Amino acid sequence: MLTYIIRRVLIIVPMAIGISFLIYLALDLSPGDAVTRMLNPVQTVDPERIEELRRALGLDAPLLVRYWIWFSGVLQGNFGRTLTGGVPISRILMERLPATLELSTIALVLSSIFGAILGTISALRRGTTTDNVLTVAGMIGVSIPEFFFGLVAIVIFALNLQWLPVGGRLLPSYDSYWDHIPNLIMPSLVLSIMMTAGVMRYARAAMLDALSREFIKTARSKGLPEWRVNLLHGFRVALTPVVVLIGFRLPILIGGSVIVEQVFQWPGLGNLFVLSVRNKDLPTVMTIALLSVVLVLVVSLVIDILTAIIDPRVRLGGD
Amino acid sequence: MALSDIVSRRTRLDRQFDQLRRLEEAGKLKPASGSRVVRKFLNNRLAVIGLVVFTLILLASIFAPLLTPWDPTKINLRAINQSPSWEHWFGTDKTGRDVFARVLYGGRISILVGLGSALISALIGVIIGCYAGYVGGWLDAIVMRISEAIMAFPEIILVLVLVTILGQSLFNIMAIFIVGGWCGIYRLVRAQMLSLREEEYVQSLRSFGLNRALISFKHMLPNALGPVMVNITLSTAAFILQEAGLSFLGLGVPLSMPTWGNILNVAQDLTVLRNSWYLWLPVGIFISLFVLSVNFIGDGLRDATDPTAQG
Repeated sequence: MLTYIIRRVLIIVPMAIGISFLIYLALDLSPGDAVTRMLNPVQTVDPERIEELRRALGLDAPLLVRYWIWFSGVLQGNFGRTLTGGVPISRILMERLPATLELSTIALVLSSIFGAILGTISALRRGTTTDNVLTVAGMIGVSIPEFFFGLVAIVIFALNLQWLPVGGRLLPSYDSYWDHIPNLIMPSLVLSIMMTAGVMRYARAAMLDALSREFIKTARSKGLPEWRVNLLHGFRVALTPVVVLIGFRLPILIGGSVIVEQVFQWPGLGNLFVLSVRNKDLPTVMTIALLSVVLVLVVSLVIDILTAIIDPRVRLGGD
Repeated sequence: MALSDIVSRRTRLDRQFDQLRRLEEAGKLKPASGSRVVRKFLNNRLAVIGLVVFTLILLASIFAPLLTPWDPTKINLRAINQSPSWEHWFGTDKTGRDVFARVLYGGRISILVGLGSALISALIGVIIGCYAGYVGGWLDAIVMRISEAIMAFPEIILVLVLVTILGQSLFNIMAIFIVGGWCGIYRLVRAQMLSLREEEYVQSLRSFGLNRALISFKHMLPNALGPVMVNITLSTAAFILQEAGLSFLGLGVPLSMPTWGNILNVAQDLTVLRNSWYLWLPVGIFISLFVLSVNFIGDGLRDATDPTAQG
C-alpha cells in the first residue's frame, strides 16, 4: 500500500512542478515585470534607479533562480499582486473562495445523490421505457449549454414568477448569512444538472457491470430478497466507480462554475477568473490556473489512494 | 421483484427479436447485406433522428443565402428591435440585423469551429498516437508527459489562459481547442495500439520485415477507427458547447462575426432577457438541438462499432 502511494506521489509531484514552471515561463515572458508595475506611469524615473531596484528584487538573476524565488513565494501563499489595482492575489482569492466552495459543494453532493439514484434505477429497469426516458433525459442534460439553462431559469423563476433573486450572493440588505439561501438555489441546481447526467450514465454502466457478476448470481441462489441483492451486493460494488467519478467531475465542476458564476453574478473564483481574463491580468489568471491544476492533481491522488483501499485489485495489479 | 419478473420483462429489443423469429420461420428473412456497422446504426432510432437533425441544420447553414434574403452583418437602423414577423422570422436585434439570418450564418462558424477543431485534433492525435503507441520508447514517453500536463488543466481554464496570452480570433480559438483536444484521441489510439501490438497478425507482418509506419498506419489503425469516430463526434459536441460558452462570456470568436455563442451574448442584458425572447431563445434551442443530435450520433456510433459498450 505504502509503495503504491509513494509511486503515485512520485508521478504527481514532478508534474505539478513542471506545470508550475511552464506557468512561470508564461508570466516571465509577458511584457513588464514587478518593477514596471510598481512605477507610476506619469513620473519619469532614473533608469539607473530602476536597474538598482531590479537587482534588489533579484530580477536580474538567471531564469531558474527567478523561478525558485517565485516558487518558494507561491509555496508560502505569496502569489504576487494583481495587474489591475495591485492588490495581493492571495487576499482576493481568500475573499472569493467561500462563495465558490459553497456552490460547488452543494452541486457535488446533489449531483452525486441524484446521479447515483437515477443511474441505479435506470440499470435495474434496463431496456424499459423508464430506462430509455432517463437515458434520453441525460443526453439532453449534457447537450444544453449550462449558461442557456441558467438564462431560461432566470427568466422563469426570477423575472416571471419572481420567486428567486436574479443573481448575486450576499446583498447589502441581508442581515444574516441565511438570507442568501434563495440566491443559492438557482446557481447550484444549474451547476448540478449537467454533472448529474454524467454521474447517471456512469452509475448505470457500473451497476449493469456489477449486476452481471457471478456473486450476484450467488446471492440470488442463496435466496436473498431481490432488494438485498440489488442494494447490498450490486449497488455497493457499483459505488466504487461512482466515487472515482468525483475526481473526474472536479474539472467539470471548475469549468461549470466559471460560466454559471458569470450567469448569476456569483462573486466566486470563476467570476474573478473571467474578470481577470477580460482585463488581461496575467498574474491572477495564472495563479488561478496553477491552483486549479494542483487541486485536480491532489484530488486525483486522493481518489487513487481511496480506490486502492476499497479495491485491492488496483494496488496489486501493477500500474 | 423476483427473478422470474426480470426474465419475463419484455423490452423493445425482445419484441424486435420475436418479429425476426416470426419472419425467419415464415421464410421471409433475406440475408443481411451491406456493412454491419451501418445496419446497426440505422437500427438505432435516436441515432437516425440525430443524423437527420444534424444534416438539416448543417444544410441550412451551408445554404443560408438561399433560405434568407438578409445579410447577417448588415446594420439597418430603420428596423431595430422588431418582434418576429413574416419578414424577420426571429425578429431583429438592436442594430436591425435579422436574427434568423444571423442564426443560419452563425451556424457556419460555430459548426466550423466545432467540427473543424475536432477533425484536426483527431488527425493530430491519431498520427502521434498511432506511431508513438506502436514504436514506444522516448518519443512515446515525452508525448505522454505533455498530454498528461495538458489534461491536468480543467478544459475551460486552459482555454481561457491561452485566450489571455494569444488574444481572440477565429484562428486562435480553433488552435486553442486543438491544443486542448488532441490528447484525448492520442491516448485512445495509443491504448488501442498497445493492445493490438501483440496480435498475431502484427507479429507476422513484423516478421515479413514491413516497416513500422506501414504496419501501424495501414494494418493496425483501421482496427482502432471505431472509437476514434465516436470520439470525433463527442468532441465536436464539446467544442460547440465551449465555443458558445466562451462567446457568451465575450471571450471567444470576435463579436463582429456571427456565431451561435456571439448571438447569445446579448442575453447577458436583463432587459433583453425579459422583453426580447426571440433574440436568445431560438439560438439557444438551435445549439442544444445540434449538440443533442451530435451526441445521439456519437452514441449510435459507439453502439454500432463497439458491441462491448452496449448497455
